Amino acid sequence: MKLPQVVVEHLQSDFLAETRPFCVLIDANHRVVDTWGDGEWLGLAGLPAGTDLFEYAPYLLGTLDEGPFRLNFVSSPAGAVMNLVTIPHKDQHYAVFLDARRAHDDLQKKQQVSNEAVLLQANQLKLIARQRDLIAELVEAKVELNHHRRDMERTSAGKTRFIAMMSHEFRTPLASIVNYSDLALEKDSGLEEMRKSIEAISRSSRHLTSLVDAILDEARLDAGHVTLRERDFDLLELLDDLSAMMAPLAAEKGLSYATRVDADVPTHIRADDVCLRQILINLLGNAVKFTEEGGIRLYISCSDGRLVASVADTGPGISLEDQERVFRAFERGGNLQSIRSGAGLGLTITLGLAELMRGEISLDSTPGLGCTVTVYVPIVAVDDVVESEAPLPVPDASVFAVQGTTVLLCDDDEDMVALLEHYLHRAGYALITTESGAEAVEKAAAYQPDAVIMDINVPGLSGLDAARELRDKDYAGPIIAHTASKLSAEDQATFTRYFRKPAAMNELLMTIKSLTSNHAA
Amino acid sequence: MTTITSKVCIVGDFAVGKTSVVERFVTNQFSDKYLTTVGVKIDTKEIDLPDTDVRHKLVLWDVAGSDRFGDKEFAYLRGAAGLVFVADGTRFGTVDSALQLRGQIDERYGPIPSVILLNKHDLASEWTVSEERIGELGLVFADVYRTSAKTGEEVESALLRLASSIVETTLSDAP
Repeated sequence: MKLPQVVVEHLQSDFLAETRPFCVLIDANHRVVDTWGDGEWLGLAGLPAGTDLFEYAPYLLGTLDEGPFRLNFVSSPAGAVMNLVTIPHKDQHYAVFLDARRAHDDLQKKQQVSNEAVLLQANQLKLIARQRDLIAELVEAKVELNHHRRDMERTSAGKTRFIAMMSHEFRTPLASIVNYSDLALEKDSGLEEMRKSIEAISRSSRHLTSLVDAILDEARLDAGHVTLRERDFDLLELLDDLSAMMAPLAAEKGLSYATRVDADVPTHIRADDVCLRQILINLLGNAVKFTEEGGIRLYISCSDGRLVASVADTGPGISLEDQERVFRAFERGGNLQSIRSGAGLGLTITLGLAELMRGEISLDSTPGLGCTVTVYVPIVAVDDVVESEAPLPVPDASVFAVQGTTVLLCDDDEDMVALLEHYLHRAGYALITTESGAEAVEKAAAYQPDAVIMDINVPGLSGLDAARELRDKDYAGPIIAHTASKLSAEDQATFTRYFRKPAAMNELLMTIKSLTSNHAA
Repeated sequence: MTTITSKVCIVGDFAVGKTSVVERFVTNQFSDKYLTTVGVKIDTKEIDLPDTDVRHKLVLWDVAGSDRFGDKEFAYLRGAAGLVFVADGTRFGTVDSALQLRGQIDERYGPIPSVILLNKHDLASEWTVSEERIGELGLVFADVYRTSAKTGEEVESALLRLASSIVETTLSDAP
């Protein structure tokens, strides 16, 4: 079919309106020879002949090398969007620019939607992967949390058991103290009966003190507050001390007690004697406590620079499942829990001390056939031991004050005040008593006593702050802390001496006497 | 002063930031809005080469994103004196696309001075391209840049490096 002229003209009209063609004839040096059409939409209107077209249409670069060439959707720096056709003609080129804005914008919209969909999908995949990672992390965290929870439950159960047990352990001596105190206070109590009651109260008090000490020792070890203090000492002397302490306890129960030391064990060694002594006291004390028949053996040898101390007993032994448990705080061999007293911390403390000494402990036991606990601690043999300072003199029960010595006592506990009053008066001290820190500062400033005994937890101004204020006011006499509180080294430095309640009265009196003598001098 | 005019094509997968790189280089601006390029977008930038009397006019052809070229795309590259490959550090697949395009172009036009830009370095924490992979790119491209069209990081350095390579190649090819 041949299109009639009217159709051809219609199509031509539409094409021209749509594409607004602009033609430029350029020579071999891309200079304008002639133009056809409206170049205004391209920013190329009114190009004079001889102009370098590349100056105005740099995008033609590379398009004139070969014959008919077409580029679609070229966006010019001026903002026009065109389809570009270059057609060689003899040694010249026709460059034809067709407006492609509408088609470009339609395609751009479609392409935009398509690309954004792909990006969205990619992001979704990333999110899913991240979600999967998070879930895995969550599962892992949950497992860890469960693990911690079980640990906490175990600890909590252990502490609950401990509190129940300690409640019992504390109540036993407390009951004794309360009941014997009542008995001693009864009007018809004879002197002998009163003395026996007081002995019972004294025994129970000391037992209570040992329970509290055990708990505090464990807490200090646990918190890493115990440090190693090595010195040269006589090992045989230490073993003799232990025999002197343990043999009578064993004998009381009808048990034998023996110590054997290998010939190659050095007499003089360097180690922490205090730790070693406590370790052996704990092990021997346990052995005595749990053994009803037979005896206790302490065997000392040396191996690879380590002291090996084995404590063997003929007690009931420890089952395999309990052997690990007995070294954990607040646990004791199950079959013994109800029949033996104590905090259940002995072996925990012993293990802690052995580790502090860079040593270790092993336990060997067959139920019914006794138990052997062996401690290995590194030691260094030394030639001789320099004698340490002379031991403190044994406190004398009748300590007398220097004539005319005045002591200010600050304590809000009536019983403690009465007790100290008794001892201080008996020793011949003049006494000023106060119940609060502020009053203590006031009276000390007014009367200038020769010494001050200060409780810490007193109403109002604390004993610590009162001591500081006294020092600020240039009080030069000794200030002795006498408190149930544990003081830091820095706080202890505020005082001349520090006594933790319950303090040995004779020691306190000796200290007061010594300090007031110095002060008076 | 001598002026050299060079056609530089910017190629790479879609949405890797080619248009943003050009915009940052030419106008020092950045837009967060993603607008797909259709066809090719032309821009120019003139730079004075340091210590010379030469002005280098770069005609930048920002080619629509693609991971593989056909005849229509290859037509845009005709006469290119330099190539800027762009990949998105947060989409490791775009590095593969850049390598694929590099192979296709080498095959069709032979070696052309090139640089590769690992873009979106401002999102470094979200990058999925490993250092090992970046090391491998160094075997294919003489110059590998970690860029951010958003902050401008290394964009100008990369383009100036390419401009220098083009001049070096042009001078060495001159009779």
